Amino acid sequence: MTNQNKALAHISKYAVTYLFIALSVSFIIVSGLDINYVASQLLLRLNRNAFIVLALIIPIIAGMGINFAITIGAMAAQIGLLLTINWGVTGLPGIMLAAAITLPLGSFFGFLIGKLLNKMKGQETIGSLILGYFANGAYQLLFLFIFGTIIPLNDNVTIVGASGVQNTLNLTGQVGLYTAVDGIAHIPFLTALYIGAGVLALAGVLQFVRKKITSKRLIVTLALSAALAGIFSLPPVASIFNGSHGRVIRLPLVTWMMILLLCLFNSTIMRTRLGQKFRAVGQSQTVANASGINVDRTRVIAIMISTVLAGWGQIMFMQSDGIGTFQTYAAHEQVGLYAGAAILVGGASIDRATNLQALVGTFLFHSLFITAQSAASAMFGDSAVGEYFRAFLSYGVIAVALIMYAWRSAQQRKAGQLSLAEETK
Amino acid sequence: MSEHVAGKAEKKRGSRFWASIVLFALAGILLAVSIGGYILRGSASTRANLDRMRTSAVLHTATEGLVDNIAQEARSEKLKELRADKNFRKRGLDEVNSICDAAMEEARAEAEKLYSNPVVEDEAALESAIENMEGVLSTSGKLEDKEHAVYGEIYLDLVDNISAWTEVAAPDMDDDAIIAALASTAPALLDEDNAHLKPGFVKLAKDLAANQQAALDAEMQGQSVSMMTGAIADWAEFSGLEGDALWEKLIGEVPELEESERFKDALLEAAKTHIAAAESGETVPEAAASEEGAETVSETQVNYSYFIPSEELAKDIQNNEDAFEALDTQLVKIIPDLCELTGKLQDSLRTNLEKVLWPGSLDFTTLYNTYMARKAGGVLSGGASTALKLASLAETLLLASIALLLLGLVLFFWDSLTRRFGVPRTIIALFFIYLCLLAEQYNISVRMMLGNVLERMTMYGVLVLAMMPGIQCGIGLNMGMTIGCISGLLGIVLSLQFNMTGFGALLFACASGAVISLPLGWAYSKLLNRMKGNEMTISTYVGFSFVSLMCIGWMMLPFNNPKIIWLLSGRGLRVTHSLLGSFAHLLDNFLSFKVFGINVPTGGLLFLGVCCGMMWLFSRSRTGIAMTAAGSNPRFAEASGINVNRMRTVGTVLSTMIAAVGIVIYSQAFGYAQLYTAPRQLGFIASSAILIGGATVSKAKVSHVLIGVFLFEGVLVFGQQIANSVVAGGGLSEVMRIMISNGIILYALTQSGGGRRD
Repeated sequence: MTNQNKALAHISKYAVTYLFIALSVSFIIVSGLDINYVASQLLLRLNRNAFIVLALIIPIIAGMGINFAITIGAMAAQIGLLLTINWGVTGLPGIMLAAAITLPLGSFFGFLIGKLLNKMKGQETIGSLILGYFANGAYQLLFLFIFGTIIPLNDNVTIVGASGVQNTLNLTGQVGLYTAVDGIAHIPFLTALYIGAGVLALAGVLQFVRKKITSKRLIVTLALSAALAGIFSLPPVASIFNGSHGRVIRLPLVTWMMILLLCLFNSTIMRTRLGQKFRAVGQSQTVANASGINVDRTRVIAIMISTVLAGWGQIMFMQSDGIGTFQTYAAHEQVGLYAGAAILVGGASIDRATNLQALVGTFLFHSLFITAQSAASAMFGDSAVGEYFRAFLSYGVIAVALIMYAWRSAQQRKAGQLSLAEETK
Repeated sequence: MSEHVAGKAEKKRGSRFWASIVLFALAGILLAVSIGGYILRGSASTRANLDRMRTSAVLHTATEGLVDNIAQEARSEKLKELRADKNFRKRGLDEVNSICDAAMEEARAEAEKLYSNPVVEDEAALESAIENMEGVLSTSGKLEDKEHAVYGEIYLDLVDNISAWTEVAAPDMDDDAIIAALASTAPALLDEDNAHLKPGFVKLAKDLAANQQAALDAEMQGQSVSMMTGAIADWAEFSGLEGDALWEKLIGEVPELEESERFKDALLEAAKTHIAAAESGETVPEAAASEEGAETVSETQVNYSYFIPSEELAKDIQNNEDAFEALDTQLVKIIPDLCELTGKLQDSLRTNLEKVLWPGSLDFTTLYNTYMARKAGGVLSGGASTALKLASLAETLLLASIALLLLGLVLFFWDSLTRRFGVPRTIIALFFIYLCLLAEQYNISVRMMLGNVLERMTMYGVLVLAMMPGIQCGIGLNMGMTIGCISGLLGIVLSLQFNMTGFGALLFACASGAVISLPLGWAYSKLLNRMKGNEMTISTYVGFSFVSLMCIGWMMLPFNNPKIIWLLSGRGLRVTHSLLGSFAHLLDNFLSFKVFGINVPTGGLLFLGVCCGMMWLFSRSRTGIAMTAAGSNPRFAEASGINVNRMRTVGTVLSTMIAAVGIVIYSQAFGYAQLYTAPRQLGFIASSAILIGGATVSKAKVSHVLIGVFLFEGVLVFGQQIANSVVAGGGLSEVMRIMISNGIILYALTQSGGGRRD
């Protein structure tokens, strides 16, 4: 394959990503928003949403498509949060308690989801979407009619004089769950970036010494970390973050460590036997089955992990800076849509995804989210258009990714049939 | 291996058989007990016991007010005492409350003991006074129910069919003019018998007109605020300005604001918030455009506060007054303290007594439950109390026994039933029958409900029919039928834009919707032809994307009829469009008639029938047969010379076009056309209906459409009414809808999907 062909293939594979980069840049310019504001919002949303988006990776690799049933993981987390608020556990212990409740609940739900998706192989994406809708009904049944009546709860979470849980629960003040993780420690963004670049360079050197990478890759890695540190030290770029123009942008340390830990988990698990099984099942169920892998069981495990992780991601989202309230009946509704769209924007497809794609996708998707309204009101004098444009982008990205995937697999099948036909000749 | 499987199936069948036998036995026992209960109801001793309960309930009600009064006084006494204490401030609010409550409870217990055993000297007189009051109350109650029904019918006629109240009751119109305007919608208002209702409805019209004007003003105000905040980029420039100076500058920046001087105060307020935010370096969060659209349309409830009783009823109410006086005299003889009650307390005593003696009907169970709620159970001996309880449960037991019998029958014939009708249809049909029984139990008129179901069938029927060609041609559940729905909505909006009315408008909307959907459906089918095996996932998301794309479209398209666009910004279509005055209910009211109190929407049913008939003929035609063949076995069809892709295109385009017509019919039955995100879930609703009717993702017949839409809508209509009477405040029926509708699609997916990949 020539270089030109390679570049073309690369561009066609990441067409959506490049389109979003172009859109984001033009939206930031058109919206006229302060760059310091955009940067701080963007980082805020990144640490809010990255965890959930990362939870989508394992099912994708296991060949189950975008797991829209992560909404059910979010519901499990919300049950955990509700109980935590009900029992009055505050601060970090409260978050840990909610996470601890989410673990068995999410695993159980994940088990059921996996069992059901095994009965609709090849239709997992639509199946998990509709399963999410169905679970929303069950969730409402639980929160409106079972909590507060059959399962007694305290007055501070129920609607007084009627059955069911309140519409919104406050997480601030006495409840004390607001920024319970985000607020532990902050470091300035630039410091974090320099440390990150340093770690990257160090890891490159280490890998080279252990002879895991070639000298060429070492040079690329070193150049990359130097470039990162260099670009962000340039006065015009640094001034966005260091407070000389607007506020100093800081990162919540523990939250980011959790996100990085999850990235590490995702890449480590792929090197274990279980990870190999995920990959094998994702590539071909028939081959995996023939080589003695229990396909159905592997798929159920993938969904269980994804559901629990999504639940924890939802807890991270809820406690994060700038949320403060728990919309009891709406908080989970868009989780699947936004996370699915985000990972696809990052260049993932229905059967391939990496940590980097998830993070880049979250970054790009939310940069559009922040600027769409202002850009629309600047262009059309109407911010509602921006709102609709956002919804269109979310659905449209998923539709395009699905179409491209179906197209590619149809072509592959055709090519396969052709070569088979030639062989038989 | 196969023997093992057969053995398992045999075992299952055996256990089902025994389970059904057990159910039959249980049903038989319950039936026997229930018959016993009915026999008890007829006996004289039961009647006498019930009367004793009634007397006791009346006495309890009479003392209740007194006891409450004493308890309240004790509480305030205690509070006063605590206030006088110098330690009062040290005590917390909770502590004070608990002390006072304790004092209140103590006083209540004492008072209850005091009045617990009233000595009745002249039992016969009391008894006859009670009897008399019950009699007149039931007479007036029944009459009132009748008049309420007439009032309710007129009320719904008016409220459902009039959209522009500001025109019906303009400020400069006198009462006669308003009546004339109202009567053109509800001719029953001019009936000689209903003359007494007129002033009430005039007041209703005036109030609604005022409300509408206020809502319109609020909407305009909101729009001017959002226009202002949208137009101004840098609020810091306005820093330091206030009042008229600020206003001048705002107008200088946004000249359009001059027209909204009415809302000056609100605009200035909003401007101040933004300025303050700009000064502190924050941004005011935009009020997010609500996802589901600001206006929602819901079922109208009759509001009885505008009801005026007829002369006859007024006389009856006067009789009630006399009967109450007589009863009160008797009661005072027994409980002398009652004469201390004055004013409000006396009134509440009367309403409470009326509720006890006329709880809406003189049905045994109702009376028994009412008396029991008034702690009248104590007057009965053990045996009598059990007998009465049994008698009151007779209906519930009968229903339960029928339910068990049904369940037993279904289990008994499970194999042949599921083979014939499929699991989901069997379960949903069973559920529907049980809901009908429950409706009887909750005194919900089954006939009226059936009328509603018919109406909803005409509403959704054509939309569900649109699913059929999609399934037949092999693309499965066509979730992208929303593309057709949007074309249909465009047709409706076009007819509104040109101010069309009547059948012309309906025809135009259908035709233009179908024409618009033709190229869209064609392009959509070309896309699906390249995506074989993934149609449902892709069609869902293509449908979703198209709906959100059209949300922008509805805002941008150059419609300019002031009736359909946002008033102030002068462009962008509104979310909800009333079709009153255009073609609302036109088809449904065509040749409609009433039979057994059921309103039959003849025109709508005829139209649905014709559509289904045409679809049936089509599937028998050459093309139809080829299409079904291409859908059910593409390889075989290809081999026998059928162009599979062409047939799939025919099916998809047909499905899209029927959906376009379907949404027009839906909107005329609903009375409103809803744009923006409203059509998003229609594909899911139509899919679940046809699946409930017995279709699968690869096979569908006209009968599936009709049965499905009847069962689905039936379960929803009955479920909603029953859920509302079980749990106040709704919500339960919505939960039921979500779970049934999505559950059935999931079931269909599990039946089709397994092992398709690789």
